[in-house]
Amino acid sequence: MQSSEPAPAPFLADCALPYCKGCGHSLVVRSLADAMQQSGLAPEHLCIVSDIGCVGLIDRLFPTVHTVHTTHGRSTAFATGLAVADGALCGGRTRFVVVIGDGGSTIGLLHLVAAAQLNVDVTVVLHNNHVYGMTGGQASGMSPEDWNTVTTPDGNPLLPLDMMGILRAAGAGYLARELATSRSLTGRLVEAMAHPGFSLVEVIEVCTAFGTKLNRLTGPEVRALAERTGEPLGLREQRLGRRHYAEVARPPDEPTETGTRVQSRVVVASALKAPLRVVVAGTAGERVQSAAALCARLATAAGLYATQKNDNLVTQGTGYSLSEMILSPSPIHYTGIDAPDAILAVSADGWNTVRGLARTLAPGGVILVDDTIPGVPEGLPALVRLPLRREAGRDDAALAALAWLLARTGALPPQALADAAVATHGEKAAGAVRAIAWGAAEANRGGD
Amino acid sequence: MRNLITGNELCARAAIDAGCRFFAGYPITPASAIFANLVRELPRRGGVAMSSPDEISAIAYCIGASLRGIPSMTATSGPGWCLMSESVGYALMAEVPVVIAVVQRLGPSTGGATAGAQGDIGLVSEAVSGGYRFPIFSPSTAAECYTDTLRAFYWAERLRSPVVLLSDKEVASTAEVVDDEALPALVSPGRSEWRGGPVGYRTYAFEKEEDVPLFAPVGGSAKVTATGSAHDQAGLLRKNDPETLGVMRHLQAKIDAAEPELGRVDFDYQEGATTLVLSYGVSARASRDAVAQARSMGRRVSLGVLRTLFPLPVTALHAGLAGIERVVIPEENHGGLYRNAVLSALGKREVVGVNRVGALIRPEEILDAII
Repeated sequence: MQSSEPAPAPFLADCALPYCKGCGHSLVVRSLADAMQQSGLAPEHLCIVSDIGCVGLIDRLFPTVHTVHTTHGRSTAFATGLAVADGALCGGRTRFVVVIGDGGSTIGLLHLVAAAQLNVDVTVVLHNNHVYGMTGGQASGMSPEDWNTVTTPDGNPLLPLDMMGILRAAGAGYLARELATSRSLTGRLVEAMAHPGFSLVEVIEVCTAFGTKLNRLTGPEVRALAERTGEPLGLREQRLGRRHYAEVARPPDEPTETGTRVQSRVVVASALKAPLRVVVAGTAGERVQSAAALCARLATAAGLYATQKNDNLVTQGTGYSLSEMILSPSPIHYTGIDAPDAILAVSADGWNTVRGLARTLAPGGVILVDDTIPGVPEGLPALVRLPLRREAGRDDAALAALAWLLARTGALPPQALADAAVATHGEKAAGAVRAIAWGAAEANRGGD
Repeated sequence: MRNLITGNELCARAAIDAGCRFFAGYPITPASAIFANLVRELPRRGGVAMSSPDEISAIAYCIGASLRGIPSMTATSGPGWCLMSESVGYALMAEVPVVIAVVQRLGPSTGGATAGAQGDIGLVSEAVSGGYRFPIFSPSTAAECYTDTLRAFYWAERLRSPVVLLSDKEVASTAEVVDDEALPALVSPGRSEWRGGPVGYRTYAFEKEEDVPLFAPVGGSAKVTATGSAHDQAGLLRKNDPETLGVMRHLQAKIDAAEPELGRVDFDYQEGATTLVLSYGVSARASRDAVAQARSMGRRVSLGVLRTLFPLPVTALHAGLAGIERVVIPEENHGGLYRNAVLSALGKREVVGVNRVGALIRPEEILDAII
């Protein structure tokens, strides 16, 4: 009885293979073509992502499947991007097969680890011939101990990397080791391609240009070599259950509105006639930068121009924290503050960071320093000491200082700053509101 | 509506508006805000934003996604760019659109994560072997971060090329006032796609060397053969044959042919000026103030703000240099990285650099060079 189904298209090109005589790559390529045919996947739903080395000569051999020839060691990372985009954004119909050597798998080890960790739909065929072949027979990270190579003429002193162990630890769901000569290889490749998620088949072979030339190896000895360089041959890991990263990353069907940054809705007018350049400094975690941001957003809502930039120790949560802020009735181009109109220091960390700026204070400028900070020279021009931390609390001291400045300069009404704090933080702004009122009252008292 | 917003935030917003649907990133100051904003916003807009274990992976993920047909982007700073540069060469060679935002910080090496600089002009523009120049755009304000990110996607997709948005710490992470309504719209035509069905597609086919080959996604019905090795128009590995040499010329020819359109210098001319201040990024901001001060002192001086650094915007420069005898180029690096690169386009004019490392160039320093 004749089948009505057409014979599957052959995956392998009808041409001579480009590998050296006896090289295992020829066997792997044939097995891979058979496995692709047995997988039942259409060629357009298959993609071979190849690494550098003799494995990278594969493009011409598979004339119907997609091929992406990449850079040394990076093939798995390119395949990861392809597989995530395919699975999360394009319906996930494509299977990506990475062909990579032992050299590529060590220079790109992190890409293999990440692909296993992400559990992307990628099948890696690791051609382990224990040596860099294309570059002339140098030792790789997977060369057997005591092996002779061009770069280890007295024998390789290192143990080969155990790729099964490394990738199992990274969460790989399917792992197998097979000889290139094994009849099981095709079946393993079919299994690996059918595995939902990351899979890797390590194929043990020997480079006939360098491996057998420098080391005595016959057929049976390759099996012995495989057994002493890693886990036993065969299926090493097969488990399900972890979600593929593409599923995790798949966006919801309906787009949702983007959240916009909270901007001050408080409507207020400014009396500012010239730029006001302010440096406010304190301690990380004490809301210095957020106080400046609130003030700069209020100025923005009032129709002013504003810039704000922040600085802090690299540790983020300790040491000083400061904001440089410019409020101006006209556009601001240069954002540096070479001559500040106000230096506000609300903690010792802050003062120690900005104290050097005191000598650059602009004419008519002012320096406000919390009265508990030690070592502030009393002879400084325009120095004001106030109990900012005691009266406003450490988390609202910067707001109190800014309210004091706004009141003193008439740049913006401090009440508007309090309204902005309430608009942004609601009931939680009670402390801020008190701090702002206190700071403004101190300024109106003419606290200098 | 007027908002207080940073260039990095607007870069992320522009990426979404430009159709970006894939972002992969690795944290680095001062570029991380782009990453954080896209992780929050991109999934809500039908895209993927993912973390990678290093910058090498980040750009490789993006190139993979782009080969699948998805407009993609990553963001980094100088140290991360160094790790990415191998794959930037791949994207250029394999003709894969990808946008890389590089927010410069103080180098060399780890340098200063929170200190500004314009020190990566050479590192970025000469990252690719062979003298190839891919488009590099340079915003000097938060609003321009938005515009130039749109431009970056437009040209990456249109040219099938990597494009860099080269900003700096000051421009990208200083919050400033931006009016939403003043932000431009730039509708990208996207990639020119192959619509010929499953048969007959060649990944790198072109007639004239300046043509951009039609794109087909990996995983679509037309078989794709993509490669970073020297190749013929079918994408098959070949070297030293006329077709392959044509492909190698084509990679630059397609970009150079677009130069009159993608080259951009924003000029603020003054009648009768013989001095031009030519700058970019953060230093263009100080230059703007310096030029205003010089004019208030009665000096005649023009200003040019480079929005395209590479390919050299020779068409725009040629027009802007009429009557100019002296060019002042402020930039925050040693030796004048862009000054040296642009010299060939300035003819016999006197060229003066204003340079500083580790701190902002002040308007007064530029003013001194003007007068």
